[in-house]
Amino acid sequence: MTGKLRRIDILLIAGAFLLLLPFLKFQRSTDYIIFCIFVLSFDLIYGYMGRLSFGHMLFLGAGAYGATLFAEHVSPNPFLSVLFAIVAAAAVGALLGPVVVRTTGAAFALINLAFNQVGHFLVLIAFARYTGGEDGMSAVFSKVGILDFQDKRLMFGFCLACLLLTCWGMKRLTRSPFGILLRMIKENETRVKFLGYDTFRYKWAAYTISAGVAGFSGALSILNYGYVTPSFIDTNRNVEVIFASLIGGAGSIYGSLVGGVVFMGISNYLPTYIHRWEMFLGFGLLLLVFRFRTGIWGALSALEVFRPRREGEGG
Amino acid sequence: MITTLVYGFTIGGILYILSIGLSLTFGSMRIVNFAHALIYTTGAYFLVVALRTLGLGFLPAAAVATAAVLPIAAVIERYVIRRLYGESLDYAIIATYAVLLIGVDLIKWVFGATPIPLSDPIGRDVGLFGISFPLYRLLIIALAIAIHGALYLFFKRTVVGKIVVAGLEDKDAVRSLGIDVDRYFAIVFLIGSGLAALGGVLYAPITSVHPYMGFQVLLISFAVVIVGGMGSLHGTFLASFALGMVISITGRFWGPAAETMVYVVMAVVLVFKPLDV
Amino acid sequence: MSEPLLTVDAVDAAYGSASVLHKVSLRVDSGEMVFIAGRNGAGKTTLLKTIAGFMPPAAGTVRLEGKDLRGIRPEKVARLGVRYVFQDKRVFSKLTVRENLELAAHPSGERMSDVVARMVSIYPAMEKFLDSKAGGLSGGQRQILLIGRALTGNPKILLVDEPTEGLAAGVIDDIFRLLSEMKGRLSMLIVEQNLPVVARLADRVYVMKEGKIFQELVTRAEIEETGALERNL
Repeated sequence: MTGKLRRIDILLIAGAFLLLLPFLKFQRSTDYIIFCIFVLSFDLIYGYMGRLSFGHMLFLGAGAYGATLFAEHVSPNPFLSVLFAIVAAAAVGALLGPVVVRTTGAAFALINLAFNQVGHFLVLIAFARYTGGEDGMSAVFSKVGILDFQDKRLMFGFCLACLLLTCWGMKRLTRSPFGILLRMIKENETRVKFLGYDTFRYKWAAYTISAGVAGFSGALSILNYGYVTPSFIDTNRNVEVIFASLIGGAGSIYGSLVGGVVFMGISNYLPTYIHRWEMFLGFGLLLLVFRFRTGIWGALSALEVFRPRREGEGG
Repeated sequence: MITTLVYGFTIGGILYILSIGLSLTFGSMRIVNFAHALIYTTGAYFLVVALRTLGLGFLPAAAVATAAVLPIAAVIERYVIRRLYGESLDYAIIATYAVLLIGVDLIKWVFGATPIPLSDPIGRDVGLFGISFPLYRLLIIALAIAIHGALYLFFKRTVVGKIVVAGLEDKDAVRSLGIDVDRYFAIVFLIGSGLAALGGVLYAPITSVHPYMGFQVLLISFAVVIVGGMGSLHGTFLASFALGMVISITGRFWGPAAETMVYVVMAVVLVFKPLDV
Repeated sequence: MSEPLLTVDAVDAAYGSASVLHKVSLRVDSGEMVFIAGRNGAGKTTLLKTIAGFMPPAAGTVRLEGKDLRGIRPEKVARLGVRYVFQDKRVFSKLTVRENLELAAHPSGERMSDVVARMVSIYPAMEKFLDSKAGGLSGGQRQILLIGRALTGNPKILLVDEPTEGLAAGVIDDIFRLLSEMKGRLSMLIVEQNLPVVARLADRVYVMKEGKIFQELVTRAEIEETGALERNL
């Protein structure tokens, strides 16, 4: 099975996001794209590895603050800042991995939540001097040659490219032996261990990668808005990515994209029409859990009419 | 220092009352019940209603508030918790978190988001070791111990309690005897919820009442359950007071870090004593 | 001939997509002691679980005195008179022996004095353990306690999963004696790998292999030929 992102996929994804443009401003649309990257990172752990984390914002925040602090203290080069953010977030993931990845189920969810809280505390209070505490801090990035990320159109295009890159990466990863093993671990870890694999290392690696990609999305957010606040590491926002993953459909790239866009749409538009939209979110979650487990993409995929053709199938 | 210790015991007492229900639900139904925090919050708000709108004294208000929460807990048990039996844990987490979200928003809608401060219902101090402490706080400690004793007797002496103990150890075996364990676990859920409401009622005068107060205790109560062992009465008791101490002592030296320290302890425990869920 | 107490008819069962039972049919008549023999993995435990209601059959029927048991929850099946004794000899270790029996008596309301008397009559030595924690009993004692538990409320049929597994020879004799005393008074479907015990006690034997009923041994002669049993496993 090849892990190539087919041309049609690229066209579809790019096209879909371009379609947003008439409705939203560039900066907003970029938001949608960036959130989708975050959902993709979450889906690696939730959809493919089968572990629910209630603290994934930690890595988004790590990337956001990482990029900001790097730009502030080392170099305002946007590319380097983003790169640093990815590495920083991945490092946090790698550091916490050995502890976190050994747990499963409730413990996994809670321990991630706990670390998220610790991160929030560190940012808000412990290191407030460096992070700006509750007020946050601004990030100013320099131009690189003719590229100025203050230009919203450039930002949009750049993020779209990043999203496609992430999709490509995820596709390769999940179709590779590594990805297949992850899915097997989700199904039955004991069996995989019996087959002789060191499941710990695979889980650790997946966790680290997921953290890095989440950090990537955090850094891009900063690039887009030029300001970071503790809300980027807020534990209560974890429900957003969980909802997005569920509504789109866990364990699939298109599912993550659909979920990301749908959630962003809901959270952007609903508050204007429905005052009590957090309640709506809650009911929506209940509906998803009890009725629509597989999400939108899952439901669509189940319809024979609209099945994305897999590699190797005829036609 | 003594103040810190007593304060630690007070927090421990509240934590125990709040967490024991969670521990039992976690141990019996194997469900991570985030909605527990909602019950806690609702208890506090019902107390406010009973005190202000109904004009009751503290004791009757506390009783009314705790009792009034039970139907809500029953509804949650019937329509959400029961549907989550045997389901993947993730869905239980998400579903109960959703209930928490809905409930908190409902509370915000009805009561508004402004914190409501309540005053010490007793307002009297007691001299202990040469320092004066609010009697109220000491009473909480006593109450926690009393509840622990009552629960201990319940599980040791009553048939219902014994069925639950057996069910926690081997649910299928109890079923094979012809006993509908789930119904007894539901009773446990109600007891736990009642205690959570009581926790909210008791803590309300110490902290202030606001819609997000549940979120604050959410993780800490889980930490207590994890550190103490799911479904373990004594374990939860010890863990509550131990973590209450951690909060109090850390709070004395570095205020804001108090709760964070609890999470660190929880993480450490999880590493060495993996959860059996 | 009167209707069998228990009929299992063409039952299929599966764990997910893995098929474990395939068109299994058997019956137990009132008062019979029927054994199921077979190697590990043959599906014997799954069969008992399916009858007791812990697993839904993917196909086929299970009837107790003509009543269809499918879809009925295990606790209800137990109250209808089917008692399943699990394989792992697990008792309620934190409760005393007496309390273990107390729980068993709870649904039927049988008097504790009768329950205890019955327990002691089938195994007098249990008397001195009545108020000790069940967790302290030996394997054989636990198995006997489990059977004592299962007998409360006067069930119609006992499903016992490998009662002599892991027990020493002397203890196996105790179990054997217990079972032979119960023979004829109660219907039983017992999974057992101890072939001599099977040979001496069985009214009929079903041999299972790879999820199917391979053979039914009916005559005394067939059953007593332990050698033949061995070969067919």
